[in-house]
Amino acid sequence: MKHSFTSHHETPTDVAEIMQLLKSVIDPEAGISIVDMGLIYEVALLDNGVYIKMTMTSAACPMGDLLMEEITHCLRQKFPAPQAIEIDISFDPPWTPAMMSESARTQFGW
Amino acid sequence: MIQVVTGMLARPIFRLPFLLPAMLCLVAGVLTGLARMGVHTTDFILERSVLHSTLMISGFFGTVIGLERAVASQRIWPYLAPLLSGLGGLALINAQTLFLAPVFFTTAATVFVLASVQVIVKQPALHTASLLVAALLWLTGNGLWLVDGNAWTAIPFGLSFLVLTIAGERLELTRFLPPRPGSRWLFVLITLFVIGATIRSGNTAFMQNTELGIAYAALALWLIIYDIARKTVRTPGITRFVAICLLSGYLWLLVGGLLSTDLWPLGAYQRDASIHAIALGFIFAMVIGHAPIIFPAVMRVAIPFSTIFYLPLALIQMGVALRLLAAVQSHTVLREVGGIINALAILSFFLCLVTQVLRGFKRHQH
Repeated sequence: MKHSFTSHHETPTDVAEIMQLLKSVIDPEAGISIVDMGLIYEVALLDNGVYIKMTMTSAACPMGDLLMEEITHCLRQKFPAPQAIEIDISFDPPWTPAMMSESARTQFGW
Repeated sequence: MIQVVTGMLARPIFRLPFLLPAMLCLVAGVLTGLARMGVHTTDFILERSVLHSTLMISGFFGTVIGLERAVASQRIWPYLAPLLSGLGGLALINAQTLFLAPVFFTTAATVFVLASVQVIVKQPALHTASLLVAALLWLTGNGLWLVDGNAWTAIPFGLSFLVLTIAGERLELTRFLPPRPGSRWLFVLITLFVIGATIRSGNTAFMQNTELGIAYAALALWLIIYDIARKTVRTPGITRFVAICLLSGYLWLLVGGLLSTDLWPLGAYQRDASIHAIALGFIFAMVIGHAPIIFPAVMRVAIPFSTIFYLPLALIQMGVALRLLAAVQSHTVLREVGGIINALAILSFFLCLVTQVLRGFKRHQH
């Protein structure tokens, strides 16, 4: 699944802006953003905030909570409290390298 | 009730009690290691010097990895693994309760295996299967120790548990690279070789390690060839630091593996050099490389990356290299100096962690 933004009532600008903000969250191991890694599955605007569905490359990775905290921190610029920032981590579908951005794939030699 | 406990464990302060026994094991492990080399310590440490490997493998690494897996699981029961292995570590330190240690470690490893099964159910993949295999080796080693009463039986199983856990996690990240023909099958074959060689070594109470050494060397070559570290080392900052820890670690795993065999007989301290090339040069270098990433995830404190983390890494390299030289020259003092430098590496690593945690707090306040 390549970034499917099935959402309630967002505009393309909203999604692009949110994705741009999320690009500041970097995976230290890979050295690229979680957006370029293809971890963001869904972005949807809610009546009172935003909903993000994302994945991790490994179910054994303990960084889930930390990533959610970093995402919340970076999205607060656009969605200040008390607006909601809801984040779900899902392994369905599982992450595959095909979900990486073109620039990330180029960087890793694809 | 369950929700209350889950909520509590989500708060890092409640994860600290799981880490404290691990830290005690690390301190006791380092001091007993120094005592084994002839460095003057106390009678209390000297009496426990035979427990050095177990304190490090199951007491420290087993507990820390158990906690890491429990945090990833986001459930309560996997926390039993670090709790029980922490108790096992305390049972080791208190010599009166030594007999309880294999009981605690075996039950801890059982819970850890179940937590690894949960990971594979959530994400069926070769890398999660590798993590399960690693967990099963830890369980097997501790179970054999419980049955035959010989702690040395458990050592190769514990060592392979750590080596394969790291390898499994690295395998997962190779997916960022274009698939290379046969690489995954090769990984499976090497893993099977490691399992067989570990059983062989366990049967000889960690005395006959030629097959195990060759298996580790093969795994090191696999990691050098296929890991993403050769790509990510070009990215500055923490990403390069992690990659350098990895690449240097793979070289030490290769050296340690080859020296574990009887193919290149060196001097009196070959065993010391080979085991610590693997345990410190490879495994502990991974801890140094990943602590600035994993520690914030587990304890939820910011650790801004700094180049000061290169200091403990450099000291690890220096200490292990001196121990290798000591093996070549059968030089007792050189070995001792290498060991002390390695102990200083671990101490400096924790000082770096504390320094950076404090810097993180200050940044947060401003």
